Amino acid sequence: MHPSRPIATLLTAPAAPELPVLQLLRSLKANRTLLWSFVGRDLKSRYVGSSLGFFWSVVYPIMNLAVYLLVFQIILKMTWDADKSSQEVVLLMLVAIVSWTAFAESISRSTNILVDNQNLIQKVVFPSEVLPAYVTISAIVNMMIALPIVLLALLYAKLNPTDDPAVLAAAAASGHQGVQLGAQLMWLPLLLGLQALFSAGLGYFFATFNLFWRDTFHVIGVALTVWMFITPIFYPPQRMVDKDYGWMLEINPMHWLMDMYRHVLVQNQAPDPRQLLSFAAAGLLVFAVGSSFFSKQKSKFSDLL
Amino acid sequence: MYDSSNPSAAQPSTNAMGGSAIVARGVSKAYRMYDKPVHRLWDLMLPGGPRGREFWAVRDVYLDIPKGSTVGIIGENGAGKSTLLKLLTGITQPTGGEILTRGRIASLLELGAGFHPEFSGRENIRLNCSILGMTEEETEERFNDIVEFSELGEFIDRPVKTYSSGMHVRLGFSVATTVDPEILIIDEALSVGDEHFKGKCINRLNEFQEQGKTTLFVSHDMGSVKSMCKHVVLMHEGRVLEQGTAEEVADEYLKRAHARGNERMSAINRQLDAYPRWGSGEIRTGKVELSNGSGEATNVFQPGSPFRVKIDFEATEDCHEPVFGLGVYRSDGTYVNGSNHLWRNEPIELGDVKAGTKGRVEMAFESLPLLQGGYYLTVFVYDHDKAAPTPIDHREHAATFEVHDANHLQHGLLFLPTQWSVAMDGADPKVSRD
Repeated sequence: MHPSRPIATLLTAPAAPELPVLQLLRSLKANRTLLWSFVGRDLKSRYVGSSLGFFWSVVYPIMNLAVYLLVFQIILKMTWDADKSSQEVVLLMLVAIVSWTAFAESISRSTNILVDNQNLIQKVVFPSEVLPAYVTISAIVNMMIALPIVLLALLYAKLNPTDDPAVLAAAAASGHQGVQLGAQLMWLPLLLGLQALFSAGLGYFFATFNLFWRDTFHVIGVALTVWMFITPIFYPPQRMVDKDYGWMLEINPMHWLMDMYRHVLVQNQAPDPRQLLSFAAAGLLVFAVGSSFFSKQKSKFSDLL
Repeated sequence: MYDSSNPSAAQPSTNAMGGSAIVARGVSKAYRMYDKPVHRLWDLMLPGGPRGREFWAVRDVYLDIPKGSTVGIIGENGAGKSTLLKLLTGITQPTGGEILTRGRIASLLELGAGFHPEFSGRENIRLNCSILGMTEEETEERFNDIVEFSELGEFIDRPVKTYSSGMHVRLGFSVATTVDPEILIIDEALSVGDEHFKGKCINRLNEFQEQGKTTLFVSHDMGSVKSMCKHVVLMHEGRVLEQGTAEEVADEYLKRAHARGNERMSAINRQLDAYPRWGSGEIRTGKVELSNGSGEATNVFQPGSPFRVKIDFEATEDCHEPVFGLGVYRSDGTYVNGSNHLWRNEPIELGDVKAGTKGRVEMAFESLPLLQGGYYLTVFVYDHDKAAPTPIDHREHAATFEVHDANHLQHGLLFLPTQWSVAMDGADPKVSRD
């Protein structure tokens, strides 16, 4: 229009190329108010209109536990190690269920979150990286709401140890301590953080992938169910080793995480350093790949929806 | 020319764009259309792409919108207006060319855009403000203004999904204009809402203009664009066809609308046989032709233009005292006018009409008093020899036509040749006898 006049640069153009992961983190930081309002709103909306309110965060895993107990312990008569009392088995399952529920929820919700919010992405300039992040945080916070009840149950079990002579004998032979609760809880925040990192990484990846292939959402639903059953949540990990499926545990980060939660919460033991490092590495890798993919494709989102 | 070695290019400076708020330089946008959705995935992962066809929604658009101007973008559906707005707001990225904007942009691209349906109005205001990059303090400062302007009352605490479309617009407009943007982009959003709120919006937009802010307004209604914008951009098939003052562009737009209207009208008029037709049938009417002042057949008129209807007929049986009449209806069914050649000061009486007689009836007037809209004609042939007129050939929807109003001097259904005079302080009144 005015060829002779110098024109300003694109205001949105970055001054220097930046790693996509850093771009994403920077945007999350800049939009933290928005992020927290989404998290707050999401937590509220879970329980608005329900009479039990936040109590559902606790009731839901316990109901799940009851169902799985019925199926695995009573109908299938799955036996855990001889040195573990039945109340300890229940707690081991409960801890894993609480964690898995949060993980599965954040993955399945993240996968469709861009599609669910296309109104925001297509009609306004919206920092879409907030979306999978808020889903992940909301799931972790929801898990934290359930944790006090888990801790109370653990405390009860610790104060009322089993008096079953068979279990006591086996425990004496193996040196198993039964339910313990103590200072090793300090690992809990780290584990929650790593779980969030791992979940967010997968969430970012599948949210983006779902825009290219909408069937992703359905595939993820099935994949999560399969993943849940090949992760030793309702049966002792030893079962898989005995059946020559031990290699599956070696490559399943969620098993490492479950194992660490059980050590920290039920046995009052520090997480196995190898598992901790492996899971941290997996979390970082998954987050780096997922968020880079998201960040790189972000400019196309409004066209892909 | 754009010079990347220019030191001001690295650090965006407010001076570098001169007095422009928005500059678009050769902006194009291509969408890729895939035969199968899964091809999109293959394009992402497999070599051998790209698959699918390109669809250019916007091509080679150059714009230089000066700061403080109100610009209208018009064009028919699919002309690329909405895509251009998405490009200018930064929602989607151009395939080619570059866009430079200065200052905060607030947009109203669609009903309820940017609202989360489950959130309450209050929460959505906060959400929107933070999307627009406002700090919490800024939001608090303006919060009450926004709530007050929206006039939502107690609805402000209900989820947005329970809002009517008018409420959506009110909330959206309140937020977009209260957050103090440098550039405001509105896509036909104002067409919803009651007159009272529309008035408030227009006041707000005028204030905007006075404050030297830039407004972009998109519509396919020439009338509202002309009333608000001095500068108009006409888009057609993704390109800017013409840009200039509202008067210049409006003429071009109407010419095109006229041609297109006639095409559509003749297509409609070919299907008119589907409408009800009844009567005893001694006389059958044939072709109904509309024509303008110069006698050429058309179905698109302008207010004030000459209007002529010709109806061919043929008598198949003898009959006595048939009367031809014509009813004019607006497309919504409003009965605008009915007349015939008998009920007049100088009636035409036909007496006996023999079988086999052919003829033509013509009704005309010099100045069509109808304003913008769609209309249709119903042809009546009635036997007035009986106690009550009985139908010989009654044809609903015998022809349709459109009125395109370039000037929009008056609103409503009818043009009234009004006279105005204004007297002040005992001085001679100013008189307009238009």
